[in-house]
Amino acid sequence: MNITELLKDLNSRGLEAEKICDGEIKVIANKDNFITHLHYLQSINYEHLANINGVDYIDENEFEVVYQIYSYTDKIHIIFKVRIPREKPVIQSIVDLWEQAQFYEREVHEFYGIHFEGNKDLSPLFLEDWMDLPPLRKDFDTERFSEIVMGSMRNGGKK
Amino acid sequence: MNFDSYTLTKIAKNDKYTTYDLFFGPNHPGMNGNFGYVLDMVGTEINNVRINAGQLHRGFEKLMERRGWVQNLTLVPRICVMDPDPNEVTYCMAVEKIMNVEIPERAKYLRTITLEMSRLTSLLISIGGAGASLGLYTIMHWTMADRDKVLDMFEWLTGGRVYHIYNIPGGVRRDTPKGFLEKLYETMEYLESRLPDYDSLLFENPIIHKRLKGLGPVTKEEARKTGLSGPNLRASGNALDIRKDAPYAAYSELEFDIITQEEGDAFARALQMRLEYEQAIDLIKQAIKKMPEGDVHANLGNLGMLKVNPGEAYAKVESSKGEFGYYIVSKGEKKPYRVSVRGPSLPAGFLWATKHLPKMKIDDVAVWMGTFGICAPDFDK
Amino acid sequence: MQIINYADEERRQEDNRKLWDKVTAYFRSRSLWMLHYCTGCGAMELPPIMTSRWDIERFGIVPMATPRQADILLLTGYASTNTMKRIIRTYEQMPEPKWVIAFGSCTVNGGMYWDSYNTVNNVGEYIPIDITIAGCMPRPEAILDTMVKLMNMVKSGDAKAFQKYKDNYGYYKANQDKLFARTAPVLESASLKYVHNETEGSEQ
Repeated sequence: MNITELLKDLNSRGLEAEKICDGEIKVIANKDNFITHLHYLQSINYEHLANINGVDYIDENEFEVVYQIYSYTDKIHIIFKVRIPREKPVIQSIVDLWEQAQFYEREVHEFYGIHFEGNKDLSPLFLEDWMDLPPLRKDFDTERFSEIVMGSMRNGGKK
Repeated sequence: MNFDSYTLTKIAKNDKYTTYDLFFGPNHPGMNGNFGYVLDMVGTEINNVRINAGQLHRGFEKLMERRGWVQNLTLVPRICVMDPDPNEVTYCMAVEKIMNVEIPERAKYLRTITLEMSRLTSLLISIGGAGASLGLYTIMHWTMADRDKVLDMFEWLTGGRVYHIYNIPGGVRRDTPKGFLEKLYETMEYLESRLPDYDSLLFENPIIHKRLKGLGPVTKEEARKTGLSGPNLRASGNALDIRKDAPYAAYSELEFDIITQEEGDAFARALQMRLEYEQAIDLIKQAIKKMPEGDVHANLGNLGMLKVNPGEAYAKVESSKGEFGYYIVSKGEKKPYRVSVRGPSLPAGFLWATKHLPKMKIDDVAVWMGTFGICAPDFDK
Repeated sequence: MQIINYADEERRQEDNRKLWDKVTAYFRSRSLWMLHYCTGCGAMELPPIMTSRWDIERFGIVPMATPRQADILLLTGYASTNTMKRIIRTYEQMPEPKWVIAFGSCTVNGGMYWDSYNTVNNVGEYIPIDITIAGCMPRPEAILDTMVKLMNMVKSGDAKAFQKYKDNYGYYKANQDKLFARTAPVLESASLKYVHNETEGSEQ
């Protein structure tokens, strides 16, 4: 399947698909049924899940969970995006589809506070005894935190 | 005597210290990097594994949102200290993709050369480390001495031994110094002449064969499905290489075949490293011969004030350990809105650790890590 | 009954100790064992200095696997909070006399990670440092130079940071507690945190 066929196919399935450049498209899916679309993509040989990452769109009051999927046969990379509300960041887990998603989801949970339903182990992976806001959220001020806890100073402090 | 069943449990079945927790890392001579596994041991056999990560977490994804587009170039190479240049190139490629910039031909070749040189340095550590984790320290001394030859060339070209920051959005920082390419060619010939020594010491060594064959096998389908990339993927028989599938820099103009192994065990992965090392030398030689004249960077104005138009892109590069991917979201400001880094080590370091390490002997863990090329900073973020 | 001249005896012992200290300091400076703990990316420059090109072993410095046998703790690069915990534990496990080298800019003032939420800015606030190397990352020559300086300091008895740790333990402990023994969130924004309620989630 080449890129135009794929775009047509995905659009006919009710997804907003758009070409970014050669061999790369972005797809926006709905949080209620994105798993079925990922299932479909996996069945048409999109078998490489490169990464799962979050993006915090604070102005739109939404989180975005981005699945980076690649097909070794079609040589097309899909940026598969799902938006969820910021007040209730809950999304279904895709551990059943890809095993490594377990760890990527744990990471996104830790850095954004997004809850993945169906992921058995969402315990912190990197930060020990973290009590503040998940650090990669835009409303977490890392400089202020560092100032209070580690005593960091902008430009090395007053001369 | 049947060595397979010779574990401590047989000798000291009733010993109360037979089962214990072993902290393999972060402070352990067999561990490469500040990372660790907590192993539930029964005698010398591992029963269960828990991951003890996060010692290298410094939140560079957060920091990148706070720094300018070009300032981030200081952060990106620190993501993988063994193989820094793929990070620079991936970051620059993602920026160029959003900005829709085509870099000059000569810059493409120079990027190829730095990428392959970086691959050489990284593979030399990996090969040496694989030897050292089996107690064969000679190979470590050899590879480190040879790596310094490449580092000297890097220093001449970029001014830095370990971190180079030679690649910038739009090309590379400056042209090669006079006489550099000739000297680099000589260095490559020297490195090639060292290969028989490595082979006779490491890859033809019967002890290495015995230790590594059958250790930590990954089948062809599993490797594709679980997100393994780079040499680990190819060692399981998948002829997949980003340099061929989605060519970047000057790889589309160079001739090379994708090397694969069939077995997918630790020995295949070690051998894969060795063969890719040879291939990297060949690629550098080809790039030197084909190097065109011309500019080395596209004019993007004052880079310090660089503004990237709104957009998003995912760029990826084949590093010595696998796929490095950068997903960048730009909102048209002086700083990126979000940079997400895909490191190659996570599938092996986390997922395959939970699959392989149970039932493995403690002696094999270090070399198992070495052959997978697990580099902690890229998943610790 | 013999009358002992205490003043003289004490002085004699003190003189002896001084001589003995000098001798031990000289030999110690010639066999510094450094702990094999790579805390950050600076560890990348250690294999070259330990192997044939720079060969630090000619100064009597060899890598050592356990803190119990080590004399030098080399903090190679940025120390995240998790690492700092392990560094302190490692440092306290090392027998005296012990010396600490802070390696690279990140350990001195945070370096490029100065505003990171998870890296310590000045390692010297948590454990005492004898000598620091600037640079990111320092060149092998700089490391060798530092090692020679440290050897001279050990020889002359100037490298006494471990005594500082004992004398000012309260200061170091307070700083460590500030970092690790937090019971409440630091920033007010923590109240915005989303806490997933399992029962509510399953109803959907």
